[in-house]
Amino acid sequence: MAFQSKRKYCYFKENSITDIDYKDIKLLKRFVTDQGKIMPRRVTGTSAKMHRKLVRSIKKARNIALMPYTNTGTES
Amino acid sequence: MKYYESLYIVNPNYEQGKLDEVMKTVSETISEYGFKTINHFVWGKKRLAYNIQEHKYGSYVMLHFETESLENLDSFERFMVLQKPVLRNQTIVLDEKPEKHIEKASSSEENKKNESKSLVEKTVKSSNEIKSKDKEQNNLKVVEEEAPEVEKETEEAPEVEKETEEEVREEYEEKKENQ
Repeated sequence: MAFQSKRKYCYFKENSITDIDYKDIKLLKRFVTDQGKIMPRRVTGTSAKMHRKLVRSIKKARNIALMPYTNTGTES
Repeated sequence: MKYYESLYIVNPNYEQGKLDEVMKTVSETISEYGFKTINHFVWGKKRLAYNIQEHKYGSYVMLHFETESLENLDSFERFMVLQKPVLRNQTIVLDEKPEKHIEKASSSEENKKNESKSLVEKTVKSSNEIKSKDKEQNNLKVVEEEAPEVEKETEEAPEVEKETEEEVREEYEEKKENQ
């Protein structure tokens, strides 16, 4: 069984979350790389509808300095 | 009627009195524009994800309000941008009416502590009960071994929280000194 792959699933559908709050950083950090980039849908497996909402809330959080735009380690 | 949420960052060097003044001016302008405030409270002093005007920290203030007309929203945004102590602000349309904020965040912490205490007490009580039963029956030795483990877990949990809080405070103080 060499080709058994992990089943991808939408985190929001699994936990029946319909609205994403931009202040909930613990949740948003799951879908962001260490660098601060938003992870693609093909990696996270979120549904298209929820991914759109997720991206919007991440960008809101970035604007109000709750999340970083980049995390390259240049900041002291 | 539409509901809005405005989150703005005030200069972290401002003391409580100055912060209250800023909040006062904001609430006054809101009433001038004909908005109804629902909530207006300090969300807390937080570390910013990136520096804004060379500030590493910022005190966040949350504001919920409702209006029927969209006329004065642009001028409100403009007013917030022009305000010197406000580093950044963001207003967002809400789908539902926001819940009324109940102040005293410290009380919630106390409740948590009380809950943890009560949990410990419960576990102690339950273990005592189990021990008494064991003396009578001598059959439930396995349960007796499990009970102390549960106690340990509950006692450890609050300590970890305290450590993290202390670490955060220490970091914050060090950074203040450096500044």
